[in-house]
Amino acid sequence: MTTERKPFFSARDITKSFSGTQALKGVDLEVYPGEIVGLVGENGAGKSTLLKIIIGAQPPTSGQMTLHGQSYQPQTPMDANANGIGMVFQEQSLIVNLNVAQNIFFGHEKEFREHGFINWGKMNKAAAEVLAHIDVTDINPRKKVADLNFATRQMIEIAKVMNVTNAQQGKNCLILLDEPTSILNEGEVQNLFKQMRRIAAQGHAVVFVSHRLDEVLEITDRIYVYKDGTSVGTLNTAEATEAKLYEMMVGRPTTTEYYHLNQQTKPEEQVELEVRDLGLHGVFKHVNFKLHKGEVLGMCGVIGSGKEEICAVLSGDELPTSGQVFLRGREVRFNSPKEALEQGVLMIPKERLYEGVVMMLSVEDNIAMSNNKQIAKGMLCSPKAVARQADHWIDRLRIKTSGRKELLMQLSGGNQQKVVFSRALASNVDVLILNHPTRGVDVGAKEEIYLLIREMVSQGKSVLLLGDTLDECIGLSNRILVMKDGEMTGEFDASVEAKPSQVDVVSLMM
Amino acid sequence: MSNTAKPLAGAGKKVRLRGHLTQYLSFSAIVLLLLGLSLTQQNFLGKMNMSNLFRDTAPLMIMAAGMTSVLLLGSIDLSTGAMCSVSNVLFVRFLSEVGVNMPIGLATLSAFALSLGFGVVAGFLMGYVHVKLKVPSFIASLGFMSVWQSAALLISERSSPVPKAVWGAIDWYKVSFGVVGLPLIIALVLVVLVFVFQARTTIGKNIYAIGGNERAARIAGVPVDSTKITVFVLNGFCAALGGIFLAAKLRSGAPTIGDAFTLMVIASCVLGGTALSGGRGSVLGTIIGVFTVALINNGMNFIGVSAYWQNVVFGLFVLGAIAISVDRSVRDLAIK
Amino acid sequence: MDHRVDRSAVTIADEFAEKIRQSNRKDRIIRTAPLIVLAVLIVFFSLTAGRGFASASNLQAILNQLAIPLIVAFGLTFVILIGSIDLSINGTVGMAGSVFACMVLNSEYPGLNMGLWGALLAILASVVAGFLVGIIYVKLRIPSFMVSFAFLYICRGIGMLSYQGHPPTIRDPLFLSLAKASFLGIPFITWVAIILFGVCYFIQEYTAFGRHIYAVGTNESIPRSVGVNVGRVKVMVFTLGGLLFGIAGVVGAIRLGQGQVGIGEGLMFPAQAAVVVGGTSLAGGKGGVLNTVVGVLIMTVLSNGLVLLSVNPYIRTGIEGVIILVAVALTIQRSRQAISK
Repeated sequence: MTTERKPFFSARDITKSFSGTQALKGVDLEVYPGEIVGLVGENGAGKSTLLKIIIGAQPPTSGQMTLHGQSYQPQTPMDANANGIGMVFQEQSLIVNLNVAQNIFFGHEKEFREHGFINWGKMNKAAAEVLAHIDVTDINPRKKVADLNFATRQMIEIAKVMNVTNAQQGKNCLILLDEPTSILNEGEVQNLFKQMRRIAAQGHAVVFVSHRLDEVLEITDRIYVYKDGTSVGTLNTAEATEAKLYEMMVGRPTTTEYYHLNQQTKPEEQVELEVRDLGLHGVFKHVNFKLHKGEVLGMCGVIGSGKEEICAVLSGDELPTSGQVFLRGREVRFNSPKEALEQGVLMIPKERLYEGVVMMLSVEDNIAMSNNKQIAKGMLCSPKAVARQADHWIDRLRIKTSGRKELLMQLSGGNQQKVVFSRALASNVDVLILNHPTRGVDVGAKEEIYLLIREMVSQGKSVLLLGDTLDECIGLSNRILVMKDGEMTGEFDASVEAKPSQVDVVSLMM
Repeated sequence: MSNTAKPLAGAGKKVRLRGHLTQYLSFSAIVLLLLGLSLTQQNFLGKMNMSNLFRDTAPLMIMAAGMTSVLLLGSIDLSTGAMCSVSNVLFVRFLSEVGVNMPIGLATLSAFALSLGFGVVAGFLMGYVHVKLKVPSFIASLGFMSVWQSAALLISERSSPVPKAVWGAIDWYKVSFGVVGLPLIIALVLVVLVFVFQARTTIGKNIYAIGGNERAARIAGVPVDSTKITVFVLNGFCAALGGIFLAAKLRSGAPTIGDAFTLMVIASCVLGGTALSGGRGSVLGTIIGVFTVALINNGMNFIGVSAYWQNVVFGLFVLGAIAISVDRSVRDLAIK
Repeated sequence: MDHRVDRSAVTIADEFAEKIRQSNRKDRIIRTAPLIVLAVLIVFFSLTAGRGFASASNLQAILNQLAIPLIVAFGLTFVILIGSIDLSINGTVGMAGSVFACMVLNSEYPGLNMGLWGALLAILASVVAGFLVGIIYVKLRIPSFMVSFAFLYICRGIGMLSYQGHPPTIRDPLFLSLAKASFLGIPFITWVAIILFGVCYFIQEYTAFGRHIYAVGTNESIPRSVGVNVGRVKVMVFTLGGLLFGIAGVVGAIRLGQGQVGIGEGLMFPAQAAVVVGGTSLAGGKGGVLNTVVGVLIMTVLSNGLVLLSVNPYIRTGIEGVIILVAVALTIQRSRQAISK
């Protein structure tokens, strides 16, 4: 590449805080005309957040962005579009019951209005032109999006974005792609790359976010590596290797005291939960593993790897489409979390707000939710038992609350999580599925939860753990399973003496 | 002290306040109405009007008691009035055709069993269709409303009186202790039972959990499906009991008698502090709501407000009550 | 040490694509089902009701019966397309019909003779009602079924108030003649429905507003992120509904020759069933007025056929209820974790 070029877009020192957590701690990004820039990093490294800021879906907490040498502060995605910046989000943003042309020009119908009604013929022609611009000539603009496959829909999303940029007449445009290849097969990915190169050749630039490092290495010119909300570094793709990227992405010291490794016990021989050839059509398949008594089994993988859905199946929230689950040697099939709970399996969910607590109920009622057996004789509840249970756990887990009657919405995130834990522990189940148990929890509470997990396990409970960070997963687990794109890619022993390096694990995740 | 921000510190108080606000408003409305009406209208506080008022509230209170639990779940049952109608005409027709040939005690029991049995079955069907077939409750209840309205008309095309021979089955309605009649006492007892059910049983706690956050309740292992079906069965039972009470009160059955009640029942619950979005409220509050509604009706009738205005006033009232009780910070109202 | 596990041949991406294909196939079946049902019904009644059904006069009767349910169903279609519901139909239609009859030359209010203006004012009243429902729904965030349910009573009450127990008989010669007028063998009232179909189809397919309705019904956040005023779309949909219900009311009064709230009775349910059976999804974003035409045809043919077979009239509403239940149960998207309230 030539040497003396100026970036046409730059972001400096961008920070973003969400009530208490800092998603971005000061990142930079520079984009030159005609290049494809890759953005890599673990879950939560900040990639998506940065993209959302650039496209104007969210404001940065601080930092500056410049576009074509001028200050750029989009208030809405439409501002970004007007300036030649478009984004294809990870979630599909097409309206499936409208046709291709209507989707491409959605929101801009006015341009085709004649005498009060819309000239579809004109719009269809314009759509065909936009598609031709990115070298797609085999899509009929009049087809309904619902009838098209995902790869084609992806192309239309790109066309939609390109339409935005077409209006710029000659100025360099910036196209942001957030995980565009997750649902595409090999051939479709190659086609996407062809389009990306074409766009770049026209002088525009593409920012490509993906967890598939092999793809990033194939298509990009430069790579930015993000970690924990900061940019760790940039390299030219020509000089990058997967190993180097892994090193940059993780490289966090795992302190023994933090995860109380001295308290990590060895699991017993008895198999509590066994999973054979488990599959959920279209999400994950061929999953096999055993969970032993007294063991913490960690599962690592990026979003979309299938680990969340495995938890959903095991906790009874979803039925598998193939394979079997055995609980202490007996085959089980949970039609609902209620059945799972009755058999001794309970999950602590990831989204505390939507799936964990009932905000308008009190602490004591939230704790009592899974525990009808403990607090009631038959159908009748004993308020004394409910109170006793609540007081016990408030004390035991040091939940900061003004009392057991306080409504959950008034507690801080960490304490709300403690209430969820109390409920799970009070239920005395043998198998606990912890789905990101320390998410959104402050450092002090995190440590308390780690100690709690160690204690649970030493008392003979078994834990399936989805760690909030790779670090946490490795630190807390006895064994680790790695998932990628719906299938198991590896298994690691993680006993105290033989913890795998983060690089090893990450290499199987991406 | 943690460094994460303390979210919504005052929000809990606001939620409680809003529920209570509706109740206070209803209560004040009652007081104001009583004052206004008694001052401007002669005989409003007289024995006859008062005993009418109290007797009037019994069927409404019974049906509202059942509906409260449905609303607590975050669902709705628009077929309540229609179920009431069916139970009403079933009761009367059975007594007229079969009951006359039986000893009165047996006739009474059988008639009760028939009507209440219908209510239970109807409620179960509604629950099943909503829970297992995942049809949203308001459309499912609309469908059933149609079905039951049909059924009521098929059972009895027009209003028909309860034959004197079987009045023994409905005479209990007349019993009164001073101004307070037996029906109201029964209704209040039912309300207390429902209260115990809501506040002190595991199912009751499950109801609040489901209404507060159904997803969280489900993941926590709460038996969501069976709880919901139970609630709808109870609602059917209460609707049917209300129909029986109406038959006893008017000493006749009419196939459209329940139609007007659906809105009044919902209004009673809402005025009593039960939110449409679920998770908030209690059947004790419904008592206040019922009296408010009954007072409005009674007052309007006493003054001689035409039936036409009553419709309008009622609609406005319901809207107002809901507007106050709606928690605007709840962003996803699943019933659109 | 190699910690890798062998990957399989068919990837998850392929499985996922297959899942989408299956769901598309199901959708296609749902789309053609209404036409098949209609065909089956026609055949069934032709066979069982004999000559009475397939005769020219019966066809005329069906065309007549179609008109008002069609107009009402069009209004309801737009509301359902954005994922809401409107239960106020009976009241709004009744109100419009009553108010209209009061304002033109009639038997109760001899002083009033507003002719066409009467019709327009009556329709305006319904438009305002629809607008209010929409505004209250959007601004106060009260669920649409509750707002519209309350307005059912309010509008019905206003309608009843307008004639206070003495329904006005229309005496205006223009409207009296319209009731019997026909053009090309098709009565005036049915022409109104046909024209309105054209208008509604145009709005749905040829205006940006129509496209936005689909977007809002599919996923509100998408149009919002592009700058479409979602609230405005919703309010306009309810206002449009009010307009159509108002027209239905006026037309109903013309046909009856009288103004009374009974004009509106029994309209909402068949309209509801028609829209659902025609293939418009309750969740929004799918279906349209063309679907509704098929749906109304189904409901009208069904009703007509049942009458010819001398089926007890009370059973008919029950059947409509069952139809709605079945249609919704069959077509609703049922993911395990979805919550339906």
